[in-house]
Amino acid sequence: MVPILYYAACAVASVGLLLLIKPRGSRRRVGVSILGLAGVAWILVLAARSATADAPGLVGVGCMALCAFVAIAAAVRVITHPRPVFSALYFVLVVVSSAAMYVLLSAEFVAFSLIIVYAGAILITYLFVLMLAQQAPGDTQGADAIGYDRIPREPAGAVFAGFVIVAALGGSIFSPAPAGGNVLDQRAAIRQGWMDLATMPKFLLARARTVDPTVTALAPRVAGAEGTPSIEPQIDGSARVMVLRAGAPTAIALSLPPSLLPDNTSRVGMALVTRFPVSLELAGVILLMAMLGAVVLARRQIELADDERRAHAGLPRHAEPPVEGAP
Amino acid sequence: MNLPVPVPFTPAAPAELSIALAVSALLFGLGIVGFLSRRNMIIMFLCTELMFQGAALAMIAFARQYMDVSGQVFVIFILTVAAAEAALALALVVLLYRCRETLNSEAWSDLGEGGA
Repeated sequence: MVPILYYAACAVASVGLLLLIKPRGSRRRVGVSILGLAGVAWILVLAARSATADAPGLVGVGCMALCAFVAIAAAVRVITHPRPVFSALYFVLVVVSSAAMYVLLSAEFVAFSLIIVYAGAILITYLFVLMLAQQAPGDTQGADAIGYDRIPREPAGAVFAGFVIVAALGGSIFSPAPAGGNVLDQRAAIRQGWMDLATMPKFLLARARTVDPTVTALAPRVAGAEGTPSIEPQIDGSARVMVLRAGAPTAIALSLPPSLLPDNTSRVGMALVTRFPVSLELAGVILLMAMLGAVVLARRQIELADDERRAHAGLPRHAEPPVEGAP
Repeated sequence: MNLPVPVPFTPAAPAELSIALAVSALLFGLGIVGFLSRRNMIIMFLCTELMFQGAALAMIAFARQYMDVSGQVFVIFILTVAAAEAALALALVVLLYRCRETLNSEAWSDLGEGGA
């Protein structure tokens, strides 16, 4: 039942988007925008209602829906705005609202790196290139430059392709989540969190000292040897770690409460350097190669006669090309 | 299930997850629509960035759902690839613009030697 409603909502949003892409008068645009946004709102409400078996955190869901709405509306403006610079600026709005959604999904580090890298670096590069490629005011191509940004290419086919893809992707929203999987996932996540802490002995020692200030050192797993400290996650989310105290000859077990689990940023950092170190190095290589490639590509000079260039751009030549065999 | 653990170690509210997935699907679809319907080459590449955003949002949503940071790490790599792609794609666009002095992708619709 629900997927049919969802496909209908997708269809309404698609019709609204199609009418928005086609250039029309400004008065009709308002009604059409309302139609498209109503379709999007319908999709979001269906998505939210499909999963409200538990008591929902209404504030969190409300903030999420607001950010979602802003992101979608800005994305529609990215693909429909006739001026490229405004499209790029609306893309910044998409990035900021999806960063807000990342924060709501408790991925703070990625959210702020998204704003810094995307809105701060990538979009600025886009803006620079857009301004470099702007037509000069006296250019005879000025009218054409407006024209090709204003008239879309195959809007009906494009919107239909988008409709098919969103309708197919949306099936995953309504497929039921596997029951009982979350308990195991949560246990695995907590265990991984404590194990991440064990690879940072100084960090772990500082946390143990917040529980018991008399702790002097962490007891190693094997007596007298260096290495990872002995830490054992418990079923209730806490962990027991063996510590040495001042004046006590043997190690004793200290219970760390779950509130001392590592925060999100520490977990991401630990995962980067312990689980994905090769990928991290490869990312650096990719960035270096991209920089070299961009320099090489942008430096190349194109040797074309001025007339040839004008002919490629669809402009009249300055002079008629010489006809072979003519006197 | 109701352990007193910090927020990143608890599963997301189901409605939050569904909204995030719906938005990621819509961003991806809008990116495809834009890529197919716009003629400006720079805007076409901007629409691929829109698709990157959709994919990254799905990664973050599932990282939250399964309380595993691998999804967040993957988004960091997506950011890297997006930056590399933007640098190369914009260099190519500058190159193409120097050839034909227009950003219209229709100017490249015929691949012949003369381009006539």
